[in-house]
Amino acid sequence: MSSIDSLVRELRRLPGIGSKTAYRLAFHLVKGSAEDMKRLAAALHGVADRVHPCPVCGNYCEERVCPVCADPRRDRSVICVVEEAYEVGAIERTGRFKGLFHVLGGRLSPLDGVGPEALAFDGLLSRIDGEAGEPSEVILATNASVEGEATAVYLEGLLRPLSVRVTRLARGIPVGSDLEYVDGTTIAEALAGRREMSA
Amino acid sequence: MVLRDLELRHFRNLGVQTLRFPPEGVAVIGDNAQGKTNLLEAIYYLECFRSFRGARDAELTAFSEDVFHVKGVLEGERPVTVAAGFDGSGKAKKVSVDGKEAPRFSAAFGRLGAMIFAPADVDLVSGGPARRRQFLDVVLSLNRSGYVKALQSYRKALAQRNAALRTGANPQAARAWDGTLVEHGARVTCLRAEWAAAWAEPFASYCSAISGGDRAALAYRADVGTAGDGAEAGAESGGSGAGVVGVVGGGDAVGAAAATGEAGEAQVAEAYRRRLAESWPSDVRRQRTTAGPHRDDLILTVEAPGRRVPVRAFGSGGQRRTAALALRLVEAATIRQQRGTEPILLLDDAFAELDDGRSQRVVALVEEESAGQVVLTAPSESDVRLRRPSLARWRIRGGVIEA
Ligand SMILES: Nc1ncnc2c1ncn2[C@@H]1O[C@H](COP(=O)(O)OP(=O)(O)O)[C@@H](O)[C@H]1O
Ligand SMILES: [Mg+2]
Ligand SMILES: [Zn+2]
Repeated sequence: MSSIDSLVRELRRLPGIGSKTAYRLAFHLVKGSAEDMKRLAAALHGVADRVHPCPVCGNYCEERVCPVCADPRRDRSVICVVEEAYEVGAIERTGRFKGLFHVLGGRLSPLDGVGPEALAFDGLLSRIDGEAGEPSEVILATNASVEGEATAVYLEGLLRPLSVRVTRLARGIPVGSDLEYVDGTTIAEALAGRREMSA
Repeated sequence: MVLRDLELRHFRNLGVQTLRFPPEGVAVIGDNAQGKTNLLEAIYYLECFRSFRGARDAELTAFSEDVFHVKGVLEGERPVTVAAGFDGSGKAKKVSVDGKEAPRFSAAFGRLGAMIFAPADVDLVSGGPARRRQFLDVVLSLNRSGYVKALQSYRKALAQRNAALRTGANPQAARAWDGTLVEHGARVTCLRAEWAAAWAEPFASYCSAISGGDRAALAYRADVGTAGDGAEAGAESGGSGAGVVGVVGGGDAVGAAAATGEAGEAQVAEAYRRRLAESWPSDVRRQRTTAGPHRDDLILTVEAPGRRVPVRAFGSGGQRRTAALALRLVEAATIRQQRGTEPILLLDDAFAELDDGRSQRVVALVEEESAGQVVLTAPSESDVRLRRPSLARWRIRGGVIEA
């Protein structure tokens, strides 16, 4: 197999990349400078050698534990549960959440062979039992998809016996969207979740 | 809406042609296997982006080609251009409205406001419950906002729950799907039952008008409205026979609940939750979900001396064809009511299997009810029964249309 072929084969394994795109990317790289390619390779090397999941929350980091878990100013009484590590960034960027995270590493999807044992549920339960500072609230921030919802429900069942408050992100109409273009289900949810307007 | 222009590229045997339709419509006349149904199939493709006869996109592509395109320019209160293309080499399908690619096909559903009727539609009546659920799913997807999403979520939750039951290791994990299953299943049930309740009367009067007096009825039978294993067994053995008539009442109860809106939906959700709890042991045993709207049916009955019987099992050929056509007319009326536009009627050899009396009454009905565009096909001039004398005549041969 030629070097280009093996590059194409590796690229194709990435999500959202079919053969056409893989070829385009490979030839784009080959056409560029060898320097650029080596920088990319070095970046990949760096990630492969140094990045690992935080043993506490599952987010990716290079230190022993991740910066969020290590930060003494974070509020240890709240844990926000997300499906994937990249969702931690989305919440961090809001600057509004001061608690800790827990990354499940996916969502329940028996159709894809993902059952409860494949997700970081145990880790979460032992954090609630054991963590210093005793988390008093778990926010289930799984997605509003059918799978995310089921994952939240399942987790809620596991958490119920523990003395911890369990909350779920609100569902509703995305900011900036016109009602006319929002589907009926979303409108119905937003209606059900309506709140008092304070003067 | 009114279809003004239709551009075809390699759809079935229709080659490359652009057709300009008269606002009133047209009768397309041609021998068998010349492409009459293909033409209506192409038009209806722009309504929901798949073949009304269930053909796969690859089968719609001309034999020697990889790609087909269909584009329609529609006139109405808001003129619109709908286009669809399929590339078999990459299995890619694209749909656009006014030149903008639709993010999901469902976002572009129903722009034509068309109804299509073909003789094969008799299987709406004589086929299994799945055929009638599919009918409801299409009609509601095209006409009720929120239905597509509820249906898709329901199907996904159902498939996931069944997969969880099949893994067997931890059946309890399957219950995590109950919440979404109930939430979306209740909405699906209610929208279907509401539709059936609203259109039961018009259905009966269409049947009566076409048959010349038969008393037919339509009711939604919701699985969540029937309790116990007895009803379930009755439904599984084919949904026919006397047992089913008793069940219709259950369906009506759900219909009545559904018609009361938000509160009704909560009631149906509660009933569904109970059904799921009841059937849990059998779900675990059979490793699949045995309760829910995926088991519902639209029950069509006709009055026989002394009793009401399902058309499916006991109706004559004529009664079945009548009921099928009446369902399609109700579909057209739904479009008229929900979308506020006059439906485009696509009638494929519509009178082929109706007796003379029925044909004449259908013609009268269509002419009285529908002021919109009609595209009909027929094997010969004498089969064009619509009395509009001014209706244009086109000939079709080997896929080529002569206006
Ligand atoms: N994918 C295709 N490519 C080319 N021709 C096709 C394709 N599919 C069907 N046909 C042709 O279309 C004709 C049938 O068209 P149809 O519209 O069903 O006939 P009718 O006029 O009887 O309604 C047949 O001649 C068949 O070979
Ligand atoms: Mg035909
Ligand atoms: Zn961490």
